[in-house]
Amino acid sequence: MLPVDTTQLLKGVLDLAVLAALRDEDGYGYDILRRLRTAGLDEVGDASVYGTLRRLFNGGLLNTYVVPSDEGPHRKYYALNAAGRAELQRSGKVWQGFASTMDDLLRERGTA
Amino acid sequence: MIGTEQYEITNYLHAVRAALGDLPETTRDELLDDLPEHLAEVLAEAGGTLVERLGPPEAYAAELRASIGFVGGFPDPPPPDKLAELRDAVLGRLRVLDVKAGPLFGYERASAFLVLLRPGWWVLRGYLVAMVVAWALDDSGQPMGLLPRIGGSELIALLLIAGAVLGSIWLGRRSFTFTERWPRWALYAGSTVLVLVAIGGFASADSSSRDANYSDVNYDSGPGYGGVQDVFVYDEQGRLVTGARIFDQDGTPIQLGNPYCVEDGSGGYEHSVHMGYPYCPEQAPFRSPAARPDASASPSDERSAPVSPSAAVSSTPVPTPSASRSAPR
Repeated sequence: MLPVDTTQLLKGVLDLAVLAALRDEDGYGYDILRRLRTAGLDEVGDASVYGTLRRLFNGGLLNTYVVPSDEGPHRKYYALNAAGRAELQRSGKVWQGFASTMDDLLRERGTA
Repeated sequence: MIGTEQYEITNYLHAVRAALGDLPETTRDELLDDLPEHLAEVLAEAGGTLVERLGPPEAYAAELRASIGFVGGFPDPPPPDKLAELRDAVLGRLRVLDVKAGPLFGYERASAFLVLLRPGWWVLRGYLVAMVVAWALDDSGQPMGLLPRIGGSELIALLLIAGAVLGSIWLGRRSFTFTERWPRWALYAGSTVLVLVAIGGFASADSSSRDANYSDVNYDSGPGYGGVQDVFVYDEQGRLVTGARIFDQDGTPIQLGNPYCVEDGSGGYEHSVHMGYPYCPEQAPFRSPAARPDASASPSDERSAPVSPSAAVSSTPVPTPSASRSAPR
């Protein structure tokens, strides 16, 4: 069996993690990466977040707007639109069901 | 410092783009569309160069590639497997045929009926194996019959059949447990060879039993006469008989040899101009002066045989002790 590591698991749920990071507050690329890492997903790379944001935007789940800055470069902010919120809700339920099944399984076997 | 940053971003971007060179251009452009701005944002955060913060551009490109699902470098979808497509098409047709032909045999599927015949095939397979083994081991030079005789022994033939049939049945029952690929394929290959050998064997056995009549009466000369090319008949005087015809007890003409003669000059073959035997009087093994086929033989010449001074043989028997009769050498 393949050893389970966070990088492997992350591939399946990175979309959901990024959507969740934008639930309460819009954010720009590096900002979103920082939120994910603060939340505990230390292994997330910048390229993964950038690529995921591009993909979710192309998929019509995100809106963007540019905020000019006096000190640094302009920042491109991402925000959930209606489709993005619906997707977050749907995928979130799938994940919770999956996670609780795994929890139960691991508890029964006495490995948790 | 903006200039330095811009330079760093351009360099990094260039390296990432190069590492994604195998992607279709539109995909790559779309992917990298926002990257300059993004890299500028990253640089604006405190601390370090792009490489220090993000790692080498190649690693960044690899992560980017993984995030959009392009794990391998496939600009186009992999070419379809023609062989697998063909196999699937053939199998699909066979399945349809299987169902359609089923009612002919009184089953839902024809294969349900064929499966019942399987033990019969095992027995036949055993017999065929015995025949092939006998053919390989037998050096008696006799043509194959219907029993796998070795050295002409029927006992061995029957034992061989019994052993091979039992072995084949045993193998047939065991072959259901073959899960690996190669034993099954070896079995299929062996069966194919057996079937081909069987078709060849039955075809030759069939033609030899069908042709037996034909060749016996007309051409086949029986043992010992296979090498006969011409027939020379001599009368009791030792003279060559020309235009002879020979018949068997039923009045059927016996044909031996073939009516072609070697031409003296060219060495080529020519159809005989003579009716009956011999086809080629010029080739007569024994010459009698009384009936020289090449000396414009006529009844009148017969008495006045040409006398040469050196002739040791004379056509008119002279009762002298020194005279030698013309006789077969």
